[in-house]
Amino acid sequence: MADHFSGPRALADPASDITDVFTFPSPERAGHLVLVLNVFPIAGPTALFSDALSYRFRLRPVTATTAGGTPVVVAGADEWTFDVGFAPPTPDGAAQTGTCTTPGGAAIPFRVGDEQPTQAAGLRIFAGQRLDPFFLDLAAESANHTLERLTFRTHGVNTGEGANCLSIVIEFDIATVLGPDTGPLLGVVGETLTSGHPVRLERMGRPEIKNFLLQDKKFDPVNRDLEIRDIYNAEDAFNLSPSYVEAYRARLNANLAFFDRLDGTIDWPSDEHGNHPLTELLLADYLVVDTSKPFTDDSFLEIERAVLAGRPHTTCGGRPLNDDIVDILYTLLVGGLDGPPISDGVDQATQPATRSFPYLVAPNPDPPDVMSVLSAASAPPAETPS
Amino acid sequence: MIRLTENNCELPTTSGAIAMVNLQAQIHGLTAPARPAVAQRALLADLLIQRGHVLGRIADYERAAELAEQTVRDAPDDAGALLAQARTRATLHRFAEALADLDAAGRIGFDRATLDAERASILQAIGCYDQALALTRTAADRQPDFATVGALAALQAERGKVAEAEVLFSQARSRYRGVSPFPLAALDFRRGLMWLNEADVPWHDEGNLTAARTWFDAAVRRVPGYAPALGHLAEVDAALGAHQAAIDRLRPLALSSDDPEYAGNLAGVLACAGQTEEAEHWRITAAARYEQLVQRHPQAFADHGAHFWLTVGGDPQRGRQLADSHLQDRRATRAYALSHDLTRAD
Repeated sequence: MADHFSGPRALADPASDITDVFTFPSPERAGHLVLVLNVFPIAGPTALFSDALSYRFRLRPVTATTAGGTPVVVAGADEWTFDVGFAPPTPDGAAQTGTCTTPGGAAIPFRVGDEQPTQAAGLRIFAGQRLDPFFLDLAAESANHTLERLTFRTHGVNTGEGANCLSIVIEFDIATVLGPDTGPLLGVVGETLTSGHPVRLERMGRPEIKNFLLQDKKFDPVNRDLEIRDIYNAEDAFNLSPSYVEAYRARLNANLAFFDRLDGTIDWPSDEHGNHPLTELLLADYLVVDTSKPFTDDSFLEIERAVLAGRPHTTCGGRPLNDDIVDILYTLLVGGLDGPPISDGVDQATQPATRSFPYLVAPNPDPPDVMSVLSAASAPPAETPS
Repeated sequence: MIRLTENNCELPTTSGAIAMVNLQAQIHGLTAPARPAVAQRALLADLLIQRGHVLGRIADYERAAELAEQTVRDAPDDAGALLAQARTRATLHRFAEALADLDAAGRIGFDRATLDAERASILQAIGCYDQALALTRTAADRQPDFATVGALAALQAERGKVAEAEVLFSQARSRYRGVSPFPLAALDFRRGLMWLNEADVPWHDEGNLTAARTWFDAAVRRVPGYAPALGHLAEVDAALGAHQAAIDRLRPLALSSDDPEYAGNLAGVLACAGQTEEAEHWRITAAARYEQLVQRHPQAFADHGAHFWLTVGGDPQRGRQLADSHLQDRRATRAYALSHDLTRAD
């Protein structure tokens, strides 16, 4: 799953478990950027945000470069943050309330689940339960790792079908909130932190970095018994700790090489030190969005792909809600820049996101009975490969 | 949001009300709207055990056991499924089977540290303290985090090493990095239990009961409705002669929990307070429930049932019969664990 259940600590408190982060130019309002932070995998209808957490978006200006021969994205020192906090529910059963603090320090109160978005200071805010927009065939993806070959089927099973999550959606006027000279390239990260004395519990930039690329230990020549994701989650995405960065590099180098081998050809040869060509690019683990470009679907990783190809990017990048990130990642990691498309056989969410705020669709009020499909979801795929 | 200060270390955690609602929402989410794979079913089994512990719900333990066993039948070579089955079996005191599950998960290649932590808790439960201590201390030395240091604290507390346990409990608390209130509440509960057990020794003093109350109170402040902590708070009340306070705590538990311990304890306290009619009602309720559970889960309830019938239950013959059965089972499990230990050492 994109970042669902991404480490032992996240499992202990689902309200801190980031499932996805999205960012894209507003399809509705020119000059506005949308930020989405989803938490609480497979949330039941009563799920609430934690009152002991700060839900945070961090944005920094970034530059894409191939200087030095290695394609990378480099973050600048300036930073803007949006902090969202929540109160406990009141004894009278009223809806949970929250406050969004903008980069300029304005504190905007809102009510959880309010279908009418709160609007103030150049922002629109929504927080509440939504249908989880993520989709993949988890059983087949897991089988790829176990069997060390592609096991996707033409028609996969969406593991997240009908599941809900808790969403925070912020849309803001870039010039008003961040300043008129902002951009065009921004790096975006979502985080959950303990309130008071802040300790980062989770952070997320690109999807599936932790679950696809960091979880598997068996290929790692350095740390074969280290659950690295909690350490990685605690890191500052814009400033990785030198104490652990070599551990992340070793894990990424090993697992990226595994992905490259899945089609029987090597499209990403490592250098003489074993460094994979994508490692540095992915270690800069934040979504990269071009705020000067209009909204478009299928733009996830387009900016990074352009950097790798040595050409100018053409889209807004970032991560729109309906992008099939599993297919995009597999196609790039397995087949290289010009490889044939690889699909997990699941091409859209239970219901695609809309083009109007808050963009994520309403939660599923009538979920299907799942027990009858449990075995199918965990059974090994019958036909291979895609 | 709850804050408790110890050693100038503030530990804000999610309010217990939100955490309980979210635990229910997690369980609901995993049982209804999605298509959980093996890992998610294993998670669901863990969550059911957690809810069972917090609310005193045997039905959750039984549901977790059924789910884990079904998952192992569907995916017999999945180590995560075997681990979940081991946990559910250990919860119902099927310790030998649980150890066998852990061995099977180990043969598949599951993370050894995780398996050793589970093994240690089982060895502790059956009184093989030396073996449990070896595993637990190794884990705490290797990675001294909340879980490993907390496990060592609970083990030393159970062994009566109070001074060392106190230090370890404080160290574990200082290493907590999450916001879920459940792990901290469980740690405080174990600390309270240590002081309550200290109060059981012949030279006990009120200070130990006060210390026990402090930590049980802390657990309940983190997670209101935390049944085992409320039950032991009632025990402290009763030991201090505050029978009505104990009754007020136990009555809602006896109504909400399907664990007969609360009904049995309520019957005992009511009898002490001279409220014999209501005491008899709860004695009969507890007796019927113990009979069911001893039939279904003899390993888990023989000892509790024996204690009940030897005391408030008023049937010493039945009590001795169950006590003998429990001792035989415990000897067999210890024998299994020790032979298993020797095998591993070869």
